[in-house]
Amino acid sequence: MRAERRSGSLMAAPYAAFLAVFALYPILFALVLVFLKWDLVTTPVFAGFDNVRVLANDGRFWRAVENTFVFLSIHLPLQIASALALALALNRPLMFRSFWRAAFFLPVVISGAVVAILWSNLYATDVGLINGLLVRVGLNPVPWLTDPSTAMPAIAAMVTWKNVGFYVIIYLAGLQYIPRSCKEAIEIEGATTWQRFRYLTLPMLLPQTILVVTLSTINGFQLFIEPYVMTGGGPLRRTYSIVLYLYTNAFAYQKMGYAATIGVALALIIGTVVLIQRRVIGKAEAL
Amino acid sequence: MPSVHFDHVSKRFGATTVVEDFSLDVEDGELLVLVGGSGSGKTTILRMLAGLEEVTEGTIRIDDRDVTALPPRDRDVAMVFQDYGLYPHMTVRENLSLGLRLRKVARTEIDRRVAWAADMLRLEPLLDRKPKQLSGGQQQRVAMGRAMVREPLVFLFDEPLSNLDAGLRAQMRIEIGGLQRRLMTTTVYVTHDQVEAMTLGDRIVVLADGRIQQIGKPIELYRSPVNRFVAGFVGTPPMNFVDGNVAQKNGSISFTSDGIDFPFLSERRASDVPSGSVTLGIRPEDMTVDVLDAQSDGPTRGLQGRVVLVERLGGTSHIHFDAGPHRLLAAVSNDRLPEVGDAISVRLHSERIHLFVGDRRISSVI
Repeated sequence: MRAERRSGSLMAAPYAAFLAVFALYPILFALVLVFLKWDLVTTPVFAGFDNVRVLANDGRFWRAVENTFVFLSIHLPLQIASALALALALNRPLMFRSFWRAAFFLPVVISGAVVAILWSNLYATDVGLINGLLVRVGLNPVPWLTDPSTAMPAIAAMVTWKNVGFYVIIYLAGLQYIPRSCKEAIEIEGATTWQRFRYLTLPMLLPQTILVVTLSTINGFQLFIEPYVMTGGGPLRRTYSIVLYLYTNAFAYQKMGYAATIGVALALIIGTVVLIQRRVIGKAEAL
Repeated sequence: MPSVHFDHVSKRFGATTVVEDFSLDVEDGELLVLVGGSGSGKTTILRMLAGLEEVTEGTIRIDDRDVTALPPRDRDVAMVFQDYGLYPHMTVRENLSLGLRLRKVARTEIDRRVAWAADMLRLEPLLDRKPKQLSGGQQQRVAMGRAMVREPLVFLFDEPLSNLDAGLRAQMRIEIGGLQRRLMTTTVYVTHDQVEAMTLGDRIVVLADGRIQQIGKPIELYRSPVNRFVAGFVGTPPMNFVDGNVAQKNGSISFTSDGIDFPFLSERRASDVPSGSVTLGIRPEDMTVDVLDAQSDGPTRGLQGRVVLVERLGGTSHIHFDAGPHRLLAAVSNDRLPEVGDAISVRLHSERIHLFVGDRRISSVI
């Protein structure tokens, strides 16, 4: 028994070491940094609750929080709807089905920076492909990334496109789990296509939907690379996300203590939001 | 007027023919059983009737309406699936009522029908549970209730009992039969289990390789199977078959095979029986077994055999014995059973002997 326990610990040791170095240590270090002022060069100075106090009154930080919530309010519904719709389409008998599935998954494995550069070109006001198409059908070109009202929605649409393949996989797995006899039973019982979706498919995909909401919320709060590459947070700071603000404080202003405080605040915000989401949609989870 | 009418229906998947030229009338209120082994096409026929499978050729009519091209929801049928197909996220009550809600039936009428079905199937205490909180037998009853509340023209059962254990299966068989007789709803019931078919069916359709082998009442299939397949398929334990020859000697006819010379047909007209190679069929219960004592000089009419196995089932016993190279089985209810190794004399009840030429049974012999 003791030998068994020892070999068990031994086998877990590499992962435990990894976790300690890359998760536990940074978390603890960040918590310590909250109470320090440190520019990465000079000796850190103890600052008490200064960082927290500054953060609470930092209009730029709260603007970033607001921006991130705007992003999520567009990204989440769009992500769920597009992933679900694509999964339903790809679950049918379809020509070249494997090709389509691979095609929609491809953006997931492409670097975020590459996707951001690609989409900057698509969104470009004068030479972009999207505006080219709009002009061709007789519409006015839209300054996607330079108009404060369209910049964040444009980024949200792009992030949705990049991640959709991942969530499609989750929904496809869920769809294949619905027993054939259930689908046939509801068909015989008189359901139209919409009623089949409403009364069988959608409720039976609830566990997958909870997962998609949780994962895309956590991901969405960490929005960084897209505004960093495409807009630099503009126009009028409208695409300044929380993580972009954190990054700027850490590596442009060298305010490591303040950046860590933003990081801890972000973790608390994510935790709270996910908890609320679970309460709301988790009620129906008792399948 | 028949309630369900199949007119020369065929089903092909690519080059494979699953159902071939299937024609059948199901009478109003009848419980018709489709029985056959796997690959016999029985489930495909049921699924074509439900509208879950397209018909390659031919027409299907329900209540004198051509439904061949109609989607399942427009056929007014209800189906009970092998794995029940209950909606796992809904309570029993919601499972029962969904079909009616989808069809915009009035709330009071839905409540009335759900209460009626729940009462008939003893489901009241379970109405607020989810399917996974129910036993297999209870899920089965919910599936039946879901079909009943719709009050459809036709019930379809697709091997509904095969996921239950033996005891429950026998009990549910009785319930389904009783329920169908009370409701008098036309029912098509698919099973691979011939005992289920025999006990439930008003009529039985025996299928093999997508073709009808025989249609008839259970006792007709049992007493007068048209061919060797039906003879072997219907009845447990199955019929014994012995390949041999019929030869006429001095006006009497005998059946001969390796180690068997059996003059069983003396009372029959010789012209009824073809000479040449035939297969003799005899059901295990149509034999009488006598233990040969040392002093007896043996029977004159019967098979001589040696017992290789005795299965005591209580009421009846199965005696496996060798007659020449043939391993046969007799089902007897004797008090005095032979022991393994005993020499026995076996009398065949000649009015119950079946003769097959090729695959077909020669009905005139019986």
